[in-house]
Amino acid sequence: MGALKIIDVKHLAFDYTRRDEEGRVIETVRALSDLNVQIEEGQFVCVLGHNGSGKSTFAKLLNALNLPTEGTVLLSGMDTKEQKYIWEIRREAGMVFQNPDNQIIASVVEEDVGFGPENIGVPTKEIWERVERALDHVHMLPYRLRSPNRLSGGQKQRVAIAGTMAMLPKCIVLDEPTAMLDPSGRAEVIQTVLELNRQEGITIILITHYMEEAVDADRLIVMDDGRIVMDGPPKEIFSEPERLRKFRIDVPQAAELACRLRRKGVPLPEGILKREELAEALGRYLPSGKDSERGKDADMEDAPPPMHTRAEDPVMRVEQLSHVYQPGTAMESYALKDLSFEIQRGSLTALIGHTGSGKSTLAQHLNGLLSGTGGRLECHFRDAKEAPEFPADPEEEETNRNWLFSWLRLPWLHGKDGKKEKDAKQDVKKELRFKVGLVFQYPEYQLFEEDVLQDVMFGPKNQGFPMEEAEARAKAALRMVKLPESHWKRSPFELSGGQKRRAAIAGVLAMRPEVLILDEPTAGLDPAGRDELFETINDLHESEGMTIILISHSMEDVARYAEQVIVLDHGELRMYGTPEEVFSRYRELEKMGLSAPEMTYLAQRLEEKGARFDELPDTVDKMEEAILSILARTGVAAGGLPRPKDSTSHQESERQSIVSAGEKGEDRISVGQPHDSGDVVNDHHKEQREIASTGEEAEECSGK
Amino acid sequence: MFREVTLGQYYPVDSVIHRLDPRTKLAGTLVYLISMFLVNSFLGYFLGGLALFAMIRLSKVPFRFMTRGLRSIFFVLLLSVSFNLFLTPGETLIGIAFIRITKEGLRIALMMGVRLVLLVLGSSLMTLTTTPNQLTDGMEKAMSPLRKLNVPIHEIAMMMSIALRFIPILVEETDKIMKAQQARGADFESGSLITRARAMVPILVPLFISAFRRANDLAMAMEARCYHGGEGRTKMKPLRYRGTDRAAYIIMFAYLAICLGSRFVRL
Repeated sequence: MGALKIIDVKHLAFDYTRRDEEGRVIETVRALSDLNVQIEEGQFVCVLGHNGSGKSTFAKLLNALNLPTEGTVLLSGMDTKEQKYIWEIRREAGMVFQNPDNQIIASVVEEDVGFGPENIGVPTKEIWERVERALDHVHMLPYRLRSPNRLSGGQKQRVAIAGTMAMLPKCIVLDEPTAMLDPSGRAEVIQTVLELNRQEGITIILITHYMEEAVDADRLIVMDDGRIVMDGPPKEIFSEPERLRKFRIDVPQAAELACRLRRKGVPLPEGILKREELAEALGRYLPSGKDSERGKDADMEDAPPPMHTRAEDPVMRVEQLSHVYQPGTAMESYALKDLSFEIQRGSLTALIGHTGSGKSTLAQHLNGLLSGTGGRLECHFRDAKEAPEFPADPEEEETNRNWLFSWLRLPWLHGKDGKKEKDAKQDVKKELRFKVGLVFQYPEYQLFEEDVLQDVMFGPKNQGFPMEEAEARAKAALRMVKLPESHWKRSPFELSGGQKRRAAIAGVLAMRPEVLILDEPTAGLDPAGRDELFETINDLHESEGMTIILISHSMEDVARYAEQVIVLDHGELRMYGTPEEVFSRYRELEKMGLSAPEMTYLAQRLEEKGARFDELPDTVDKMEEAILSILARTGVAAGGLPRPKDSTSHQESERQSIVSAGEKGEDRISVGQPHDSGDVVNDHHKEQREIASTGEEAEECSGK
Repeated sequence: MFREVTLGQYYPVDSVIHRLDPRTKLAGTLVYLISMFLVNSFLGYFLGGLALFAMIRLSKVPFRFMTRGLRSIFFVLLLSVSFNLFLTPGETLIGIAFIRITKEGLRIALMMGVRLVLLVLGSSLMTLTTTPNQLTDGMEKAMSPLRKLNVPIHEIAMMMSIALRFIPILVEETDKIMKAQQARGADFESGSLITRARAMVPILVPLFISAFRRANDLAMAMEARCYHGGEGRTKMKPLRYRGTDRAAYIIMFAYLAICLGSRFVRL
């Protein structure tokens, strides 16, 4: 090809070596082996792969942060092993890392952007010009004098990108830049990166776990076990969902649905990746009646938002809970405002809201780490004789703030009675903490003991159980999170990311809570790790009957797993209902800085094109079913999908099944639609048409 | 809520003080510290307080913001004041059982308290009006003669500015870890001081690990941005003395002279 190769990697291998104190090599681990890849200038390349597949190692080899053990890496023709090129290489290939806090050096945005140019000796006047231009590229110019600590995650990452842009690079390597961000922050960063690629011609190498970010790439590289296993444009790569799943990678939801529908005989073109494309393709088969859905939209806006705040058998009842900071002053602000709701025993409830909406604060109130400044919390635990109550504690403000003082609390500073009263209060709170387990975000950062088992025993020991009992409970908890027994005696710091997280969750489960609150439990995990952890959580919910409250930014996960959804906005309860009820009000959600699942948006697009849904489907499963039922109905009404001419008998049987399906429900088919009918359609289409090209591939879609 | 730690927290407004050369501000802070130990009368402290008050007004930093820094030294303040108050021998003012407050003790304790408060406020004024990077630059330049003695001035300055940037982050992280361990039933608030000290282990271990991880990440990010020590580095904001700096030096000397003079004034 004519285009210039900016990156040329030949037979690259890399070993990690571990050494003991005297510098002798204990073991070497091969992280990459025999990698060959060329990247052309101006391309947008996405590198996918599960945690530990070697992506980050690869990224660091590109700008000489790691040096190859074998083989060569050429960047713009410069060998990274040559010491004399090192600064030129790092200037040309800028790098953005995962944690926004750990890569910003200065305390003012513009000074941080200027850090790189300073290092390579750019004259002062030019630094200012470059900083200004770089900040303008990422649309952060108005923030140039701010402190990075006061920026959102997405803004911090944009500053980091500006920091590399100020070096006038040809290429930017981004190592999971969005892993620690909320959805709006993620969108900001990806938008910025796309602009830099399209407008400035910067070569982008983006490492990510989010498939939505990969669909816009020119090329995808899939890594597994230190090798490149797939390489091609997104349309090609995402047409093999089953193979990707083997490498622990997902497929964008629209692509998965398209693939499944194709298997069921809907003649959709290949290479559908985005919901717009899918809606467009499906639109052709929909009736063009546009009048009905307009009225429905208007209804929706007028109706009050869902507020099913009462439960039949509540395990927790929150009444007018408020938390005010600095009440009575001009600085008065509500972290929580007049929240009243109940949590059904044994339910799986999701708590959503944008960053700063009070989700985490609420979680900490539910388990007694914080007390409200108004209202109360009532709990109905199984073995409790009476329902303990946790009224608001006006002193709370003080104790929360002055933790250092309270730690150093000396008896002579407080009256003796005050201390006793306080301890009694502490005891009640402690009880609540044991009954309502709270798993914080990135819980693996709390691990501290010498081995996993000891660490998990920390909770039960604090509850006052003797060693044997604590150990038994810890072991039971470790089994619940499915952490293999061989890992129990190992140091928690030797485990992989996903395993650490499981160990940390076990640390909370070992206290045998009745309610488990999980704050973003899957943050930073790869797609397969996320699915596995959700399976475990679902198991706890279903087989152990545990009440689960899930805080999440991923609306797709909420739609898939939650039974109830609580929406918080600025500390206030805005909605409480089933996922379908809540997500059908996506316009209101968007006003709160939230979004609906991908599938809800697809459904909305389809409604614009004339489809009608009783409830907007929010998961791929429900969507598949709904679309098939709609197509079946239109098939009856208007002669259906374009059919091959020579298959009357098949068509007959299909029609029958469609009619029977149509009779079941006016607008929607109930869950578990008759399978045989679908299969008939499939077999028929498999023979007659090259929809998914091979039978094997058709199987792939339903592999999940 | 723990972003309150003022030490090393820049307050971004534009003022005469903010625009001063960091070397001038460093010198000013040094002069102020010296003056606080020079003066030995309440008149002196009054002068010092007045000067500081004027500087704070000039800097446009809200006074409320300044005093937040005092919270962190509350305990030290309490300790030193009470030691001086109770343990200074002299003419007894109040005496209950073995506790005696003497006239001298009261005087020294008061002076000690005022001195500490003024010292902390004075140095917070510098960190509030100077970004850590400016501070680094200032120290680097002011101490550059020491480089001839093989003192790694640039490295020290860099380390300090990074430490200042990460203090609020680590404080917040401490709070997070503490809450997480409390959620697992850890108790930091009851028992003897020793029990409570031992209860800090589950906080300190994760905190250290996290600090090392951050240091590692940061080192990598700096290397990726071509950082390789002070050699061949240019400055985005090079230091240059201006008219206001010269004026500031003159004011400083005048102030120091007045403070010295106050030693000989008897009230």
